[in-house]
Amino acid sequence: MDYGRELLKGNTDCLLLCLINNQPTYGYQIIKELEKRSNGYFRFKEGTLYPALHRMEKDKLIKGKWQVLPNGQQRRYYHITKRGQQALAKRLLDWRDFSTAVRLVTQPETI
Amino acid sequence: MTHELLTHLEDKTQELKGGGLSEEEAAKISTQAFGPPQLIAQQIYEVHSQGTWQEAFFAALPHLLVALLFASYHWKNLISLSIILAAVTCIVIYGWCHNKPMWFFPWLGYYLLPVIITGSLLIYLPSGWVWLATLAYFPLALFAFAYIMKQTASRDWLYVSLMLAPLPVVFSWSLALGINGVLPGNMLLTRLQPAIPWIVVSFLVLAVATFAFTRVRQRWGKAATLLIPPSVILVSVTLVNRGNIGFWGWLILLFSLLALASPAWLKAKA
Repeated sequence: MDYGRELLKGNTDCLLLCLINNQPTYGYQIIKELEKRSNGYFRFKEGTLYPALHRMEKDKLIKGKWQVLPNGQQRRYYHITKRGQQALAKRLLDWRDFSTAVRLVTQPETI
Repeated sequence: MTHELLTHLEDKTQELKGGGLSEEEAAKISTQAFGPPQLIAQQIYEVHSQGTWQEAFFAALPHLLVALLFASYHWKNLISLSIILAAVTCIVIYGWCHNKPMWFFPWLGYYLLPVIITGSLLIYLPSGWVWLATLAYFPLALFAFAYIMKQTASRDWLYVSLMLAPLPVVFSWSLALGINGVLPGNMLLTRLQPAIPWIVVSFLVLAVATFAFTRVRQRWGKAATLLIPPSVILVSVTLVNRGNIGFWGWLILLFSLLALASPAWLKAKA
């Protein structure tokens, strides 16, 4: 089992919500931003991003809207919803508790 | 959805071309970075294939109504039948005009039933009129059938099975009870009476299967839920008739099993 991949899989929604919460964005930009912000740590098969985005949209956490750019290109921008913001807040809280607990166990002297 | 994936591929290709790659190389790398198309298609299907609880209930509702019709003995009442037919017609028109949602297909299946029954009743017309009616009615009915099947299959082959699911149930019971013709009211009642609890069970099973079909995400799971009703009906019909359902009864059941299994088979073959 690839531990890193499993961790990413379990936290994909949280990462995506976080990015979309910062500013409305589209699929390709999300991939670039994830890679950039994580110094290349988060790389996933690009196609698998879209099922995750559509699942979140179905769960009403985000909302996709087509926008036409000045150069005529079309992009589907995702906006976070109120429900998405609440879900993100809860997941960040859970993550903080979890990471604190892990740190308490693995590095007790640093606390 | 496709448009969204295409814009992503175009962006990636443009970026790679900006980095000095040829059009062909850039397109190849972009496609590879996307991952296995079959996996993506499966994941997207699983996201969009699951209906809500309300949709599942609404999809199962026509079967529940038919079960209720038999359980309450209202199937003999022309007014009840007319109300249900009018409701089915309105819902089918609404669903057809509103992007044909998943819950609409079981309703469409019941809408096809009167078309078939009308066709089978044509043989009771006076001899001279039978040919005339056949010539006028059958091409029209077949055209409507073919058009609806084509439209449904263009959405998903599984929806064809979902739509056709009530038809084998109705035919199996009609053939098994020998009421495929016009019978005097009291004779019809005598034959139907002992089978009514089983008929109700058949439609309830169909309702449960439809409900599960709408909620299940995986394609194989959907195909499996559609195979349950004919199996239960086969047992019910056999129990009621002590195995004596006649050649046509068995043939119809075999056909219904094949028809309902075909989407799963087509999927496995693809």
